[in-house]
Amino acid sequence: MRDSLLLAGGLLTGITGFAWLALAMDVHWRQVRANVAAGLAAKRKLRFLGGLAIAASLGLCLAVDHPTMAALVWLMILAVSVLTVTFTLTWRPRWLSPLVVWIPNG
Amino acid sequence: MATTTATPASGTLQVISRVAASLLGSWLFVWGLTVLGISLGVWAGADYRQMESLMYLLAFPVFLVVFCWAYAAVSLKRVWLILAGGGTLMTAAAWLLIPSLAA
Amino acid sequence: MFASFRLSMTWMHTWLGLVLGYVLMICFFFGALSVFDREIDRWAIPETRFEPQTLPSFDTLLLPIFERMQPSKESLAQASARIGGKTPQHTSAAGFGAYTTHRDPVLSLFTEYHVTNNPNDPHDHVFGNTTIDPRTGRQLRDDQLKIGSQFFYPLHFSLHLEWLEIGYWLVGIAALVMLAALVSGVVIHRKIFRELFTFRPRKQAQRSALDLHNLTGVVGLPFHFFFALTGLIVFAGIYFPVAHTMLEPVHELHEQRELAAKGLAFEPAGVPAPLASVDAMVAEAKRRWAARGMSGEVGFLSVAHVGDANSYVSVYRAGTDRVTLTGQGIHFKGTTGEVMFEEPPPSTIEGITDFLTGLHLQHFRHWLLRWLYVMGGLAGCACIATGFIFFVEKRKRQHAKTGVSGARWVDAMATTAVTGMVIATVAMLVGNRLLPAELAGRGAWEERIFWFAWLAALLHATWRSAPVQQARISPAWREQCWMIAALCVAAPLLNWITTGDHLIKTLGEGYWPVAGMDLALLASAVIAVLAAGKLRLREMGVARPSATSTDAEAAHA
Repeated sequence: MRDSLLLAGGLLTGITGFAWLALAMDVHWRQVRANVAAGLAAKRKLRFLGGLAIAASLGLCLAVDHPTMAALVWLMILAVSVLTVTFTLTWRPRWLSPLVVWIPNG
Repeated sequence: MATTTATPASGTLQVISRVAASLLGSWLFVWGLTVLGISLGVWAGADYRQMESLMYLLAFPVFLVVFCWAYAAVSLKRVWLILAGGGTLMTAAAWLLIPSLAA
Repeated sequence: MFASFRLSMTWMHTWLGLVLGYVLMICFFFGALSVFDREIDRWAIPETRFEPQTLPSFDTLLLPIFERMQPSKESLAQASARIGGKTPQHTSAAGFGAYTTHRDPVLSLFTEYHVTNNPNDPHDHVFGNTTIDPRTGRQLRDDQLKIGSQFFYPLHFSLHLEWLEIGYWLVGIAALVMLAALVSGVVIHRKIFRELFTFRPRKQAQRSALDLHNLTGVVGLPFHFFFALTGLIVFAGIYFPVAHTMLEPVHELHEQRELAAKGLAFEPAGVPAPLASVDAMVAEAKRRWAARGMSGEVGFLSVAHVGDANSYVSVYRAGTDRVTLTGQGIHFKGTTGEVMFEEPPPSTIEGITDFLTGLHLQHFRHWLLRWLYVMGGLAGCACIATGFIFFVEKRKRQHAKTGVSGARWVDAMATTAVTGMVIATVAMLVGNRLLPAELAGRGAWEERIFWFAWLAALLHATWRSAPVQQARISPAWREQCWMIAALCVAAPLLNWITTGDHLIKTLGEGYWPVAGMDLALLASAVIAVLAAGKLRLREMGVARPSATSTDAEAAHA
């Protein structure tokens, strides 16, 4: 049970991390906040948070398995995360807006 | 696709030669590298199985590099020379060395 | 031949990808299914639907079965061919082997017999095999096909083309081309990070196919690369058979020295002697593994030189908690049960090889990683399929104008390789449930159904693909999606009717091998219906593409 929760956490942090990295790009930011660009400071924060979340994902994987196994699980989680974020941006971009609700406009 | 071939017939031959060089030439090159690498290692005192494992790990990355080079290289003649020629030379060198290892 | 490096890589990617893509579809799809090959076996052979078991007692259960086993008909036929058609004469069993994994309820047993009348090869052997229920020792009928581990799994690495190992070579070339396609793909696709999250399904088919091709290619790049590479490494002995050709004398010399160093005999002594308690040896092996902090169950056990004074028993651990192939082999003297040799930890090079091959062969226990592997494999299929679609979309208008039919045939082949392949797979499962239980040669009939269904899909796709010659969509894709949906609903239904194992029962019991299969089949039916719907809209031209311009990359490729 503990392992399942940790791995689920690893998956969630992976998805969140890539969502933040994606939203640091203008073209995807505009899909969530129509036509208002994010400021440079906001973009830097998003990239930093994105990297942090992806690193946290690795940490959670390492808490469950032997390092060689955890590394593989993590790499596959990264792949699934990018796919999830991409398909969300394609069909339901507004679902990602809670992740950036703390960033002001402009 | 921008090519420098003049006639369709020579174009097809060029394509066949290029593909053959990338597959057969590369295979011969990697074969030569593998047998020569193992032979030299055993000659220098290494364990056979270790050398075989090592060369098998190197074989496919090397194959990939020379395979792509076969397409990227400008001179097809040079590709055949280096891959098939080099492969043959390495195989011959190994063939000369092996009898002294099996004693 | 090419004006630039990028153009040479584009040409290589396009044409080699197109030709070998059909083989690669098979490798990736059946490779993905092979992750759960033993679970598919459970679905296909209902009498094996019980929990995985550890190795039973050798002395009381396995030894009597080994002693009763005979060489298989196929092995005898092959040996007969080697000695000019004569009947092979053989000894009683010279070697025993037993193999199980943490996912298998059943146990595979192997035997080896010396052939005494082959003048060309004094070391010729024939082999026997059987599968038993380890709880009772009952043997399974040998014509029941393990659809997962004996059909889908070998299909992905040999295409079931055994003659002169041609299938292995085709798969090897395809794997090499996959590596080259990944490298060249990166060279061609310049905006890897900027377009990482880009997928625009409402654009023209050519652009959205390319988006999905790039997405599944980039996202799965480490996976696709490592699986192709490690697959090649696993079969390196087939592609570069140095040990049995140029380096044979060196190899033989070292093998004999190695066995001698371990105290293990290369040849039998010719002196009969009884076998000591193998159960005691297994207990000792487990004790030693636990003492090293690597406690576990037996994965593989073999007895060499059975009934001889030189016999030895080798016990290997089933690898479950590591990626690397862990053997931790321990060799015992057959006549006394004393430990002769404990395999040392692997060297650095062997460790790397064991890790890489272990990554591919997946002996580990980790259900999430297995499912992630399946997703990776299916992403690879999506990458190849969208590659085909992009190829056709890009050229069909041109071909329609000039009256060339190339795009049509590529499209028909692509349909066969994508939807056709799925039809063959599920048709085989449906056939497995419909064929009479007592039919002789049942497994062979199931295989015929698979190949026949695939051939039918090819004929259907070829017949229906004429619209591609007018730059329209072939209805074959949509029609085959409906076929898939129908088969994917029929299979779990037939499972219920013929075995009584319906989803509520299997989910309630938590019997995941069967529940998982039924759920996967039903999910596939849903996806197939959604796809058919989307295809219908595109065919009717209702889904208008949002832009007709394609960007430089789509035009360049």
